[in-house]
Formats: sequence, C-alpha cells, structure tokens
Amino acid sequence: MIERLGLMATQPAQPGISAVVLLLLGLPLLLGVLGAWFRPLRGGVVASVSLLPLLATAWLLLKVSTHGVQAWTLDVGPLALHLRINGLTLLLLLLTQALTLASAAYAPGYLRVAVKERSAGGAWLWPLLGTMVASLSLIWLAADLLTLYVGLELMGLAAVGLMLLPGHVEALAAGMRYLLLALVGSLAFLLGVALLLGGWGRLDLAGLATAVEPGPLLWVAMALLSAGLLLKAAAFPLHTWLAPVHASAWTPVSALHAALVIKASFFIALQLWLVLVPDAAVAAWLVGGMGTAAVVWGGLMAWRAAKIKDVVAWSTVSQLGYLLLAFPLLIGTTPAVAAIAWEGTWLQLVAHALAKAAMFLAAGNLILFTGEWRVEGLAGASRRFPLALLSFGIAAISLVGLPPSAGFTAKWLLLHAALAAGHWPWLLVLAVGTLLSAAYVFRLFRFSFIEDAPHFGLRRVPGGMDLIALLLALAALLLGLVAQWPLGLLSMTGGAP
Amino acid sequence: MSQAWLPLATLATSLLVAPVIFALPERAWWARAVLNLAAALAKLALVVVMVVGLYQGRDFVFGFTVVEGVSFLLKVDALGMMFAGLSSLLWLATTVYAIGYLEESSNRKRFFGFFSLCVASTIGISLAGNLFTFLLFYEMLTLSTYPLVVHRGNPKALAAGTLYLRYTLTAGLVLLLGVVALHVLVGEVVFGEREVLTALAAEQSPLLIGLFLVLLLGLSVKAALVPLHGWLPRAMVAPAPVSALLHAVAVVKAGAFGIVRLVYDVYGIQLTFELGLLGVLTGLACVTILYGSLRALAQQELKPRLAFSTVSQVSYIVLGISLFGPFGTIAGMVHLMHQGLMKVTLFYCAGNYAEELGIRRIDELDGAGRRMPLTSLAFTLGALGMIGLPPVAGFISKWYLGLGAVQAGMPWVIAVLVASSLLNAAYFLPILHRLWFRPGPAHGLGQWPAERRLGRFETSDWLLWPTVATALFSLLAGLLAGLPFSPLDLATLVATEEYLP
Amino acid sequence: MLLLDELLLTLALVTTAALALFDRQLIRACALFVLFALTVALAWWRLGFPWLALLEVLLGAALTGAFLFHALGVMPWARAPRGRLSRWRDPVPLNWRRGFFRLLPALAAVGMLGIALASLPAINEAPGPLRLSGTVLFGLGLWAFALQRHLLRRLLAFNIIGTGIFLLLMSLAREVSPAAGQGLVITGLVVALLGTMLGALLIRRLNGLDGRRVMASMKNGGGP
Repeated sequence: MIERLGLMATQPAQPGISAVVLLLLGLPLLLGVLGAWFRPLRGGVVASVSLLPLLATAWLLLKVSTHGVQAWTLDVGPLALHLRINGLTLLLLLLTQALTLASAAYAPGYLRVAVKERSAGGAWLWPLLGTMVASLSLIWLAADLLTLYVGLELMGLAAVGLMLLPGHVEALAAGMRYLLLALVGSLAFLLGVALLLGGWGRLDLAGLATAVEPGPLLWVAMALLSAGLLLKAAAFPLHTWLAPVHASAWTPVSALHAALVIKASFFIALQLWLVLVPDAAVAAWLVGGMGTAAVVWGGLMAWRAAKIKDVVAWSTVSQLGYLLLAFPLLIGTTPAVAAIAWEGTWLQLVAHALAKAAMFLAAGNLILFTGEWRVEGLAGASRRFPLALLSFGIAAISLVGLPPSAGFTAKWLLLHAALAAGHWPWLLVLAVGTLLSAAYVFRLFRFSFIEDAPHFGLRRVPGGMDLIALLLALAALLLGLVAQWPLGLLSMTGGAP
Repeated sequence: MSQAWLPLATLATSLLVAPVIFALPERAWWARAVLNLAAALAKLALVVVMVVGLYQGRDFVFGFTVVEGVSFLLKVDALGMMFAGLSSLLWLATTVYAIGYLEESSNRKRFFGFFSLCVASTIGISLAGNLFTFLLFYEMLTLSTYPLVVHRGNPKALAAGTLYLRYTLTAGLVLLLGVVALHVLVGEVVFGEREVLTALAAEQSPLLIGLFLVLLLGLSVKAALVPLHGWLPRAMVAPAPVSALLHAVAVVKAGAFGIVRLVYDVYGIQLTFELGLLGVLTGLACVTILYGSLRALAQQELKPRLAFSTVSQVSYIVLGISLFGPFGTIAGMVHLMHQGLMKVTLFYCAGNYAEELGIRRIDELDGAGRRMPLTSLAFTLGALGMIGLPPVAGFISKWYLGLGAVQAGMPWVIAVLVASSLLNAAYFLPILHRLWFRPGPAHGLGQWPAERRLGRFETSDWLLWPTVATALFSLLAGLLAGLPFSPLDLATLVATEEYLP
Repeated sequence: MLLLDELLLTLALVTTAALALFDRQLIRACALFVLFALTVALAWWRLGFPWLALLEVLLGAALTGAFLFHALGVMPWARAPRGRLSRWRDPVPLNWRRGFFRLLPALAAVGMLGIALASLPAINEAPGPLRLSGTVLFGLGLWAFALQRHLLRRLLAFNIIGTGIFLLLMSLAREVSPAAGQGLVITGLVVALLGTMLGALLIRRLNGLDGRRVMASMKNGGGP
C-alpha cells in the first residue's frame, strides 16, 4: 500500500521539479496578494491568471510521467521537509487547480451581484483563497508529519477566515464554532504527532512506516490523529459544525470548502492509516461503521432540510460516508480487493469534488436568481432558470451515482470491491446511500417542476456564472466514461501492487 | 472493428439533438420541429443501413474501456436491431404527433429536449453490447423520462413522478447490484458469449439462480410484471405522446427487452432452461397477463384501460421467451414489435379523442366513429390486433405463442391465451360498439365534453397522420409477415441464431 | 538543571494556569494568562531553548495578551473597559448531563495520554517534572474547555492545552530530534496565536453586532 502512496520512491528529484513545486506553492499566495490589491471585477481575468498554476501542474505531470515517482527533501535550517510527487498527488493537484480556477472565476461576478457594497471581505477573499490553495497543494505533496501539520493548520485557518467573510451574525457565530472545533482538532493532531515523535524519534512517513511497532503508544497516537482529522473532515459524529457554516458562507467559498478542504483531512487520515497501521482491520471496520452512520444520517437530514444550501451541505456529510468505507476496504483485505477499492476511493473523491462544487455554484445561482433560500423557492425554476437547474441536475446525477457519471463508476468500483471482499454490510450502505441521495435530490426537482408557482423576485446574473457551474457538472458527468485516464494516472508511476 | 461509426452515429442523432434543443429559445417552433424531424429521419435511415448490413453478414462494433474489466460496447445484432428499428420508426411518428399535440402548451423546449434524450437511451439500450452499457442507458432512460412524466407540473403529475422514481430507481439499484455481482463472478459479460456462465453452472447453480432472480427483479419493474406494475397506470398523467412512447417503446419495452437479453444473451436459453428458471418466467407472465386484463376490464377511463392492457400485453413477450423452443422465441420477438405498433396507435387515438373532443371516459365515446372516422378506424384496427384477430399483427403473435406452448410441452398455456383473448375482447369490444353503433353527439344526442376543431379533417393533421400510419403499419406487419425485413422475418433470424449455433 | 528548580517551575506553571482558568474576573484572568505565558518562556529558557522562549514572550505573552485585551475592549490608555464586558457566550446552556458528555472525551483523552506515556519505548529518558506539568496543564485546560461557556475563557483554555502539549512534545523530543520538535512547537505557537487572534476579533465583532441588534429590536418596540 505504501508503494501506492509514492513514499518509497528511490529516485531523487529531477532538476527543476523542486523549483516548480515551490513555484506551485508560492504562486497562489502571490496571486492572492495581487487580487487583494487590484480587486478584479472580471471573471475572465481571474481565470486567465489562475491558469498559471494549472500550467505548472501540467508541466509536472509531463515530467513525472516520463521520469516516475519523485521524492526529495527540502532543507530549512536544521529541519528537513519531505516532499514527494506521484500519480495520486498529481491527480489531486490537478483537481485542486481546476476547482480553484472555477471558483475564482466565479467569485468576481458573485461579489458584484450578491455582495453589493465594496466590503472589506471582498479584498480579503483573494489572499485567503491563495493561502488555502497553497496549503492544499502542500498537503498533497507532503511526506512527513511536520509538513502535513503546517499545511493542515494553514488550510484550517484560511478556511475559517473565508467562512467569516460575509460578516453577519449567523456567519460569525457559525465561524466561531468552526474555529473552536478546528483548533481542538489541530491540538489532537499535534498531540498525536508528539507521541509518534517521542516514540520513534522521526516524522517522515517512509521512515515511520518501517520504524513503528504496534502497541498502546501507536494506537493512542493514531486515535488522537484520527480524531483530530475526522473532526476536520466532518465525519459522522463530529459533523455538526458543517451545515451552519455552509448555510451562511459565500457560494464560491462553500464550493471549494466542500470539494477540497474536507477531502484534505480525509486524505491525511487515510494516508496515515495505510502507512502506520496497515493491519488494523477491526479499527477500520469501526471507521466503516462511522461512514455508515454518516451516509444514513446525512442523507436523512438532507432529505428533511428546509434550505437549499443545507441540502447540499448535509449531502456532503453523507457522501463523505462513502469515502470512509475506504478504510475497511483497503485495510486488512486482499491485494486484489484493495486495488479495486483504491481506484474506487479516489475516483469517488474526484467525482464528489467536481459534482459538489458544481452543485454549490448552481445552488448559489438559483438562490441569487430567486432571492429565496428555502427549498420551496425553487417552485417553477425549471421553466425560468433552466440552465442553472440543468447544472444542478447533472451534478446531482453524479452525486446519486447514476450512469454515466463519475460517481456511478466510483460506486461500481466500490461495490465490486465490497462484493469481492465479501463485506456485505458495505453493499447495503452503498445501496441505502443511493436511495437516500436520490430522495433528497429529487425532492428539489419536484419543486422545480411545479407550474402554478408564485414568482419570487428575479435578478439578472451574469451568464458566465451559469456556464462555470455547467462545465464543472459536465466534467463530473463525463469523467465516468473516461475514468480510465485518471485511474491510469494513479498507477502510472510504478506503484503497481 | 468494421464501421464502428454507424452505431455511434445512430446514438448521436438523438443524443446530440438534445443540447441543441435546450439551447434553442422557447419560441423557435419551426427550427425545433425541423431539427426533430431531420434527426428522426436520419436515425431511421441509419438503422435501415445497419439492418441491411446485418443481413449481409457485416458487423458493427464500437467500444472502449471505462475502467479495467469494464467496457463501453455498442454492438449490432438482430435482436437489438428489432428494437432499434421499432424505436426509430415510432420516434418519427411520435415526434410528428407531439409537435401537433403540444402546439400551444408551455415548456416545449424542455419536453423535446428530454424526449430526445429518452429516445437516445432507448437506442442505446438496443445497441448495448454488454451488461454495463445496457445498465448505463437503462438508468439514463429513467432519468430522461421523469421530466416527461411530471411535465404538466400539477400535484397529480408530481405524485406520479415520485412513484415512478421510487419504483424505477430502486429497481435500477437492484439491477446494478446484480450486474456488479456477475462481474465479480465471471468478469465482463458480453451479450451472446454465454460459455462462461455455462461453465460455472455445474458447481454454482444456486448462485446463478439467485443472480438471475436479482437481475429479473431489477428488470421486471420497468417491464411492469405483476407485483411491480404499480407505477404504470399512475404514469398515465403524462401527455399523450409520452404515454404512447412509454408504453409502446421506451420504458416498458426496455424492461421486456432486458429480460430477453438476460435469458438469451447472458444466461442462454439452454442454461436458463436447465436451471429451471423458465418455469418461473412462465408463471409470472401468465399471472400478469390475466391480472392485467382483469384490471383493464374494471377501468372506466380510456387511458387507464389501455395502461392495464399494456401490463397484460407486454407479458406476452415474456411468455414467448419463457417457452423453450424456436416458436416461443419467434412469438416473443415478434410481439415485441407488434405490441409496440398497435399500442402506440391506441394511445394516439386516445390522445386524439381527448384533444379534439375532450373525451377521457369510455362512456363519452358514443358515436365518435362518425365524428372522427379515421381515428376510430385506427383504434378499431389496434383493438382487433390486441384481441388477436387476423389479419392484424397481433394474430401472428398469438398464433406463434400457441405453437410455442405446444412445442415446449405446456399446452395449459393455451388455456391462458384463450382466457386472455376473451378478456381482451371483453374490454375492447364494448368500446368498438360505442364508437360505431351507439348514437351520440355526432347524431345530435347531447354534446361532446369539450369540442375543438383543430384541423381540416377530423382533427389536426399532425395528430391524424401518425395515427393512421402506425395503424397501417400494424395491419401490414400482419398481412406481409412472410416478406423479408418484416418483424416476423427478423424474429425468425433471431430464433435461428439462438437455436442453431 | 536542578530538580528543585524544575519542581518550582512546574509549580509556578500549574498555579498560574489554574488561576488564569478559574479566576472569576475576566480581565484578571487575562492578566494572569500573560503571567503564565511569561512563566512558560522562563521554562523554555531554563530548558535550553532560547528561541522558543523569545517566541513565547513575543507571540504567547505580548501578542496573545494584546488580542485578549482587545476582545475585552480594554486599552492600555483606558484602564476600565469601554462598554460592558464581553457578553458573548455559547448560547447552549450547560446542565449536568451536557457537562458530563463534554467531560467524557476530555477524560478519555487524558486517560489515553496516560497509557501512551506509560508505554513509551526505552529511548526516552525517565519522566521528569516537565512532562508532568505538561500533562497537568493538558488536563486542566481540557476540563476548563469542556465546562466554560464564555468564549474568551474557552480561548484561554485552548491556549493552555496547547502549551501543555508543547511542553510534553519538547520533553519527548528533547533527546531524539530537537529540531523537529522545535519546528512543530513554533508552528503550533503561530497557529495558537492566529487562532486566538481570529477568536478575539470574532468575539469583539459579535459583541458589537449583538449589541446593535438588541438596540434595533428595542427601538422597534419589540422585546429585548
């Protein structure tokens, strides 16, 4: 399993790769500061500037696909930071840059229409966004606990800052709760790291993988690390902060948060489990049980939710439950099962990120159009805002996991893995999750088809905002048919099982 | 891989039309009509080319890998071509009909967009070369028909749509589980390659039986087999062209077609027979045939009566394939086509009565034959065909079903057929009697519920000519059954492929 | 370092922390927290980490203190707080059951920490007073975090838990890899400062907004 994470790479970094990675980390910060300075008004400008990190990622892709997995260290004084780059990293980097591009291009229009006065928040958006993207990239690249800690904390604080930007009481109260929980999570993470450091005297994952031996110390450390990360990932019993935060946040921020920030914590947790406790099948089943509860409870709450954004936020809780099933399917199973589950997990992550971002943007557009937060406000939407509803619908197809979407292909793989491993409960979970997600999604559509609906206040919204949501949704839809490409990326770098 | 573009192009004709229709403004009436008709004609032409190619022994295959061990595969075979031919022919007719039917209503853009997607899924189902591809289009069909079912947007339509989704999405999920399980067991299942399963049969027959039942459960919801038929009569709230297509080709037939694929191309008729599963199918089909007919008898409105009649008639297809022997196969296949032609005619007629005269209940039909002679003639043809009187197409189906029952050694099935035919007569003949022999508003007695004069003839041209055309087709399919390229000929081809390897 | 010296430091740390957490007057509690941070800096210096001591004085004592006082509305040039003291509390009332359920994870964490520390491999030195004080601070902070309702007090508790973890971390890493330990602690200090800053600004802002909302509703003739 460690080979798949690219931690055991023997190759030193190719010339230039380290520099480009630093560029990739620094560029968003620089662009963020520039954004605060110039406060762009046009999405097109932002999009074309945001292409730069995407180009850098593409260059890395080219380089790594010819030279194979790379791992190297970066010396900062007496400290050595471990970085690595493999297929999975590249996939996540590409996803991050693409989604950032979409959200950033969406933001100026949103600020113009939804946030009328030139508030201070509008200026703060860009540097915070830049910090968040840089820290996300750092998390995907990091191969030691110190770097992961730095990335996690930066990301968490930037995310809290972004959530506070609307500045009204609800946003601030929800943000305060988020801040406290995030801080608690980071303390638990730090304590876990401290125990690992005390026990084995090193922080690089590859070294720890060989050094650690099972025992109470390792288990306690893993419990603390997992608790902190799952709290930040809004896994089931620790999810209560998520819905209020999203209900009042700005739409492009919500999109990025649900698509990437939560996934980053999940990514770190899964990576740590695979590296440090690759045989803890019982504990993994426990996490699987949490995932089950998340799928069911999140689905039910989304079904009952009164506000459009709440539906989308609760569906994040539910969908994250699918991802948690990766733990029991990857840990303690045969290599053949793990190989399928590995592909299914990352495809599910990518599919959900794309679909959820598209859904948030589309939902934001619908809310802007109607000026109505409640689900009932969608009445008659299918006639008046067909494009926004279409984007929402296509994203929903992927979320429910209907063909030909990426969500479907991912679910296919997960089902295959569960069946091949003989884990019947997960089969049931996936089935129930599908039905519940269909229930809450089609509840929204049902409202949109009502004909004799009262007209709510209509607003003009730039067409580009609709287009971005539609493009993201289409990406989630069509990725299901060309899943061979991202999955090929996962295994391209000699990490075959 | 010869001429891989042909199946792809056939699929694309309606798949790519959908976004164009969505992009056109609501008022672009003519552009939309021209686009729809051009696409329908192009598709029909492509299907004809493929049928001819099939007779010449060429094969058309298109495929690519989706993930390891799973591929997207479009393949042309005789069975698929029957279904594709039927759906492209009826799409053309229904497009014409729908343009007339929706002339003044709102949301036409949405309607035609999803209508195209619906037909694209049907074509996809017919061209699918493996279970994965089949499942893909099968689910797409569910999604694209939902907006059509709730098109009117009133509470009744919305409730029907919700019920429809509950049934079909659950069934789709069950089907998905079954297909994944089959993949785990034997890897990819390409239609027509039955050796893998036959090899497994010796040691794993309980597992195979269980899987068959799971897959059957997933498919039988759309095929409206009896305990799972509840959504179909409720879905009647949809506009007439939707009901017509839903009942004749799209949804119901997709389910039946899926069962045909399951029996012939996944398990193989021999294996299904050996596992003792054909008996299950026969039993289900007989129960559905009789139950559907009985419920139809009790309906007072025209469309629900036709809906329950569909429940009953589609099971003839299932009955046909469950009779072990070439005649049973021919009967099932040929009924797949015939039922589509006749049922679509009947629904067009029901739509015509409702649009022109406002008639929805059967007792309002008195004397309508005088006011709308062509429509009533078409209805009569369709009804007689359903009862199974020669020379309409339905007779061929029932004749071969009877032969098949004898060949399979199940003569009691003939009793079911006779009973069902009597029931068919019992619910269709009173309608015909009212149409032609009872005096009504056309004779100066009372008034039509809501009469509109839509066109030069008895009703609008758009509505009338598709009705007449499909009625003629169902007559010709019976009269010219012996000619090449007729449904019977294609069905015989399928049966020969199945029994003479 | 002499054992007595260490013991004295431990005692001072625990006392100031407990006073800062449980003093009934908020301004005094914040002042005590600054004192606590200075004691921590002293401890770092005595342990041989002058850089950490400097950072602790700068970030932990000076800046964190400034933000805490900012949240309270206390300025150096105006001793008395402007307006009323920060009113903003967690709206969820605390009862016995809720308190118990909040304490449960805290107790579990302390218990787990105890087990883990007991099973450390032999490469570590015997537990000294430093580790003891870290554990005690951790427990005290968790207790306060679970049971306090005022958000500022929760921030104080968070800072004290954080300090406890830093002390533990350095006691564990001092021998094996001091560089990594210092890196983690420095990151942690910056994060704690930023977190406190965000929290303090938020409390201040919520206070203002809440007040305005109350004024508005009173002007409209509604209830409070």
